[in-house]
Amino acid sequence: MRPAARMARLSLIVLFAFIAAAGWQYAVAASQSTPGDQFLMGRVLDPQDTPLEGAAIRLVDGQSGEVIAEALSQPDGRYALPITGDLPQDPLLMIERDHYKIFGQELGRDLLGVLAQGGTISLPSITLERQITAAFWIATLVFVLVLVLIATGLFHNTLATLIGVTLIYAVSYIGEHLHEGLYIFDFQRSLHYIDWNVIFLIMGMMIVIAVVEETGIFQWLAFFAYRISGGRPYILLPILMLITGVASAFLDNVTTMLLMTPITVQIALVLGIDPLAFILPEVMASNVVGVSTLIGTPTNILIGSFGQISFNGFLINLTPGVLLAFVGLILYSAYIYRKDLGGSQGASELLLERLSERSRIQQPEDLKKAGVVGAGMILLFILGERFHLLPAVTAIMGATALLVWIRPDIEKMIEAVDWTTLVFFLALFITVGAIQEVGLIGMIAALVGRVVGDSLLLAMLGVTWLSALLSMVIANIPFTAAMLPVVGFLTRTVPGAGSKALYFCLSVGSAMGGNGSLIGASANMVTAGISESAGYPISYAYFFKKGLPALLITVGLAFAWLLIRFL
Amino acid sequence: MSGIVCAIRGGPTSQPTIERAIALAKETQLPLHFLYVVNLDFLTYSESSRVRHLSEEMHEMGELIVLSAQEKAAAEGVEAHGEVRHGSVGEEIINLCRDLQAEYAVLGRPGGEREEDVFTRERLQRFMGEIRQESGAEVVLPEEGPAT
Repeated sequence: MRPAARMARLSLIVLFAFIAAAGWQYAVAASQSTPGDQFLMGRVLDPQDTPLEGAAIRLVDGQSGEVIAEALSQPDGRYALPITGDLPQDPLLMIERDHYKIFGQELGRDLLGVLAQGGTISLPSITLERQITAAFWIATLVFVLVLVLIATGLFHNTLATLIGVTLIYAVSYIGEHLHEGLYIFDFQRSLHYIDWNVIFLIMGMMIVIAVVEETGIFQWLAFFAYRISGGRPYILLPILMLITGVASAFLDNVTTMLLMTPITVQIALVLGIDPLAFILPEVMASNVVGVSTLIGTPTNILIGSFGQISFNGFLINLTPGVLLAFVGLILYSAYIYRKDLGGSQGASELLLERLSERSRIQQPEDLKKAGVVGAGMILLFILGERFHLLPAVTAIMGATALLVWIRPDIEKMIEAVDWTTLVFFLALFITVGAIQEVGLIGMIAALVGRVVGDSLLLAMLGVTWLSALLSMVIANIPFTAAMLPVVGFLTRTVPGAGSKALYFCLSVGSAMGGNGSLIGASANMVTAGISESAGYPISYAYFFKKGLPALLITVGLAFAWLLIRFL
Repeated sequence: MSGIVCAIRGGPTSQPTIERAIALAKETQLPLHFLYVVNLDFLTYSESSRVRHLSEEMHEMGELIVLSAQEKAAAEGVEAHGEVRHGSVGEEIINLCRDLQAEYAVLGRPGGEREEDVFTRERLQRFMGEIRQESGAEVVLPEEGPAT
């Protein structure tokens, strides 16, 4: 079995293990509800005013220490302590949660009076103070280690994040016995951090893509671009960039470039020009235009789910900025490759004939069906928010409809779903969850909050450009996953940020920032691999030289739009 | 034994190799075979689910690269054959030499970012020895003529 196939099967097993564990966890949580006649109610928050789940709230006898009532705070931070029987003279409200200092408060006589008369009391929200333990440093080191493993390519991305998860569990379960401060979280708690909306949306879209790619539409489109341009490179370049960009808005960038690069190389060879003059602008267009929709990039899927931004939200708030950036990118690309584009030696008839034979729609019937289902999915993505239809549900519905209608080889379809990527996301959510749990994210959020103060402009500037520059060197998916709680905090605290402007800044920065370096986006690496296989290697220096100005131009233009839109 | 195997990858660095192979075919009047090998190892650390589809696309790209070399040979009056194979580049060069009982194998020296792609002199010497031992073909480098 190929290593990739073996990895995919192992990933599939891991994925189902996670789903089963999550289901069991929810079943357990549902069974913990306790009825009572009178309650002491309240809410527990973290220092960023985020509801704190899983805090142990106890009402204890101040003298004997005996527990009178206890409950756990819910996902919205609320708790309800059921009070039955007589209360002692000096009851104490104790709140405990891992990675926070223990909170204790005596209940006043007036409150006791209300409870004694059978009433229910709602206490003001209580904010717990963070406690930095050894676990804080370990979770931070593990996260940095995962980033390094991904950046250096020492391990497959999925393996890198699984190593991170294993270290976190090992420290929590084994290390806890050596030192209490080593505990990060347990398995059940870690599952709370997995965003299943993201997992199912990506999975559904992967199935749709697998069906579409078999039809040969990309090869046909690229050759069609060649024909309508009349083989003139200056006209062909923007058309190829447009096809790649539009495809990237609906498919993930890596898939788009896997499909577009080989055919683009062939067109360039037919024309007798350096394929890099087309390939590099294409991959940059993919990184830029993919930002315009919820499903265009994995980072947008993460942002949309966390920030509860709909398909329309991305379309309305980002498309004008993306168009601006795209026009800037076309002009820039035409300028830097002017010598190559002007140096076409004319098409080789023999090669052109071969290319034209190949560039036909392979499965026209399947393409029609995929077109109908695809249009239906886009309609549902757009209208779905009116009836609270999650994008993940639309993606799964579309994928199932295609599978039922087309009846493709199901083995091939299962093989086409990138299970390793899904497990990567699962493991990533847990790794990022660990640094959230121990307080690193909160600390960064507080620090950024202090720096930007009440200025939305400063916050937008910081989020956009910091994420763009960091995405050049750090894998943008883990970076975005880690930044989301920070941006969430700023959205709640910075005046005017309630429009979710900062989420769009993160989207622009993290995706367009990928243009700054070869390792900035997976699509860049894949494109470079194919290009090198055709005898046109793309070095790190070459990409940086062409990509950094592209980053500055595209992020600058998109940022200008965001300022117009939100300030 | 008969035939010349010329392993190519396309791009400017392959041109001297192609020219040397054509010149050798003219000199020896032996049939010339261009070989392109599809190798998807670059996908190892990134996307892996698209292997099957990408492999087909790369095959077509390889055929076009080989065809362009054949076109160049035809322009020099040499009729050349083309072949696209999948797998390890080194193994497939040896396999084709063996299958065709090739007398010569013309190799280029591709430069790349990735360490494993770069034919350093030492690595090339080792590979040339391997070709000779496994297939009996004599290795020719574009800049040096038949290697000893």
